[in-house]
Amino acid sequence: MALISVSNLSKSFGNFKAVKNVSFEVREGDVFGFLGPNGAGKSTTIRCLLSLIKPSGGEIEFFNQNLASNRNAVLSKVGCIIEKPDFYKYLSAYKNLEIFGRISGKDLSKMEIYKFLDFVGLTGREKDKVSGFSHGMKQRLGIAQTLMHDPDIIILDEPTTGLDPQGIIEVRNLILRLRDEQNKTVLLSSHQLSEIEIIANRMVIINKGETIVEGSVQELLEKQSLNLQINVMNESIFESTLLQSFPELKYHKVYPHNYHVEMVSDTSAQLNEKLVNAGAGVKSIVPKRSLEDFFIKMTEK
Amino acid sequence: MLWKNTRNEWIKITSKIRSYLGIGALTVLIVVVQVALKADGGSFISYVTASFEQTLSFNGKILNGNLVAFIVLQMLIVHVPLLIALVTGDLLSGEEAAGTIRMLATKPISRTQIVLSKWIAAALYTFVMTAWLAFLSLVVGKFIFGEGDLIVLNSSGLNIIASDDLPWRFALSMLIAFLALLTVSTLSLCFSAFAKNSVGPIVATMAVIILFTIIGTLDVTVFDAIKPYMFTTHMAAWRSVFEVPLPWDAVWESIVVLLVHIVVLLGITILRFNKKDITS
Repeated sequence: MALISVSNLSKSFGNFKAVKNVSFEVREGDVFGFLGPNGAGKSTTIRCLLSLIKPSGGEIEFFNQNLASNRNAVLSKVGCIIEKPDFYKYLSAYKNLEIFGRISGKDLSKMEIYKFLDFVGLTGREKDKVSGFSHGMKQRLGIAQTLMHDPDIIILDEPTTGLDPQGIIEVRNLILRLRDEQNKTVLLSSHQLSEIEIIANRMVIINKGETIVEGSVQELLEKQSLNLQINVMNESIFESTLLQSFPELKYHKVYPHNYHVEMVSDTSAQLNEKLVNAGAGVKSIVPKRSLEDFFIKMTEK
Repeated sequence: MLWKNTRNEWIKITSKIRSYLGIGALTVLIVVVQVALKADGGSFISYVTASFEQTLSFNGKILNGNLVAFIVLQMLIVHVPLLIALVTGDLLSGEEAAGTIRMLATKPISRTQIVLSKWIAAALYTFVMTAWLAFLSLVVGKFIFGEGDLIVLNSSGLNIIASDDLPWRFALSMLIAFLALLTVSTLSLCFSAFAKNSVGPIVATMAVIILFTIIGTLDVTVFDAIKPYMFTTHMAAWRSVFEVPLPWDAVWESIVVLLVHIVVLLGITILRFNKKDITS
């Protein structure tokens, strides 16, 4: 079942067309990756989904309900963070959650607010003013804010931007917990392509306001050739083994003893066995297939 | 949802330091005026009554709490709009500047309700400021200077109003002053819907008040047609309440003009905020 359905969405600012006929579906239980380079129209699309921006054309449906005519009913089931979560800095974390909870359609008890603060690891900081919070803490508070009214869908726009590595790991783990423990459907836009590869099951890539591709992350990756980075001790044995046993493989030397091998299908185990038996002295084989390669290829079109 | 968000808006207003700047400034100004009048009020009264001394004899306590309250109101009612715009001009633009408008506008509350709840909170703040002005000028004034009849010089001449005839007049004058200040609050809220920071709406509000006040005082016939419709013309309507007999027609006209301004400005704010793309 599609929880979000976007059809031919367009948005223009004056003569500039930021989004051109973008279409995609987010299904129940998805962690849906929304990818695109800077200026691709991701944030504009997400702002249209949350009625922050009025689309110039197209249809947006949540739960088979038109967003424009059922705005409040739809938004009562959606939690979101747009770019960075901004809070009332002069208020405490608790007071901010109380304020946003009150207008999210659910009156929360003190205990419930404390429970959400605990979920995002902010226990003990509830009375501190948000002005003293780090970006990572605000991001976690933002996630607590998205969960307060028990939404079915969570929309996160670039949730790890500006975070340090520790903060990225914390937010990523929180997203995984949303998926695994709370069965939330998540729409996640991010520049961290490796993150999408780890977290998302389906994705859409947009560029210059247009949809490039949509589908299962796994299926899209399988269409890509698998690249291996192989480090060997004996170069001549490596090259002769490849010529004899795997003539279809393309390879090139990156630097001494290091080769880049492009495979059509995953035969890395057989290749490793042959190289070891031939005495090539395999020190490492690192698979290089990634969404990164895929993303770059797709957006270069 | 409207009342829930109004409660939120009131919490936000009362949690900001700037909301207390106005109340603090008002308190200091009124106390300074009262102390000055207490110290040298006699000479001030003599200066004012000098022109009447050849034809009238003044007996009794002229410098009393009622007169002090009237003097304070006359001196400060022009400056209070700035103190109020400081808070109300920030209500929408401040959220835009801080980025919290994104959080607010993605909640299941309509944009019309967001504006209305902010306006109600602004009206409440304006009422508190007006009530504080009344308390300090009248209650504290009477405590320091005592009770007495009010002598007022206005367009109809010298009016002497008995002290027992004053409470309802002060109440009505405060109600009109509240409406005038609420018009200013609504104007700054309206500017706030067009701006991305709070400085613009505050400056724009004061610019409009100054411009309209100058137009109102210019004795040029070309402006005569618009003067009756400018809200600044009616901001001093509270003074009419201290005329004898009370010019009810003029008072009602002022109330209606101010109310129309409030409704129109609020309507513009709602329209603007509903059409606005939130891109911050």
